[in-house]
Amino acid sequence: MTRPSDIKPREDEQRGTTYEDYVIGDTLPPLRFTVTPEIMREYASVVDGSAGGYDVGTRKAALPSVLQVYFMAVLYSKYPPQQGGVMGANQFRFFEPIWADESIDIIGTGRIEKKFVKRNKRYVSFSADFKDTKGRLIAQALNVSHFPE
Amino acid sequence: MEKRIFITQAMIDQYGVLNGDNDIIHYDIDYARQRGYKDTLAHGPMVMGYAAELAARMYGDAWHRRGEIEVKFVAPTYPNEELVVSIDDGGNVVAKAGETINVVGSARLR
Repeated sequence: MTRPSDIKPREDEQRGTTYEDYVIGDTLPPLRFTVTPEIMREYASVVDGSAGGYDVGTRKAALPSVLQVYFMAVLYSKYPPQQGGVMGANQFRFFEPIWADESIDIIGTGRIEKKFVKRNKRYVSFSADFKDTKGRLIAQALNVSHFPE
Repeated sequence: MEKRIFITQAMIDQYGVLNGDNDIIHYDIDYARQRGYKDTLAHGPMVMGYAAELAARMYGDAWHRRGEIEVKFVAPTYPNEELVVSIDDGGNVVAKAGETINVVGSARLR
């Protein structure tokens, strides 16, 4: 099991990335983690979901948005977080079920897409692909956040 | 479809424990006020998660292979407010606290 806190650099642990540090087009290295049924149930509990999962054919699947709790770690593994980051927008696309009764090993990779200043706020956008160990695409995500420095 | 959730600081803290977030804007009210907010902020993905859960129920099987959700956080979600999260038949997502629209977006199938 990989709890997000096991792989996610935390604010104040090291110097936080400033707006100037982000490099557009920079790739974010592979981040490996294991999502277990325990994490899936815990995620369901914090988003008002069903701990038992959701019907997909004859099986039960977890909420695919469970990957959300690992998403920022893809960015922070290369660009450590600063205090005070606020999300502006988020997008997720799902491609394969995450089965509720078995663990899945995921590899997340990403890219810095753009950065811009709007209404005196400094925004950074990055994307991520989440694949299983066979290379199947499980989900894609895109985030825009703004940071105080 | 809609769901109503009374947001508490404990819920924000619980989400933070799961996602490993140590950003003080989610639990230090003095810092949040210094940044111009009236209270601590709920996690954006937590609010999006409510909408994604609604979408999973609305679209069933297909959500897991063809679902996509996109949201913009247009206003902060604070503790001690009731959040009403809805998805209409066209897949439009809205999350409101009182008369304030906090989140807009869409949840649809490709």
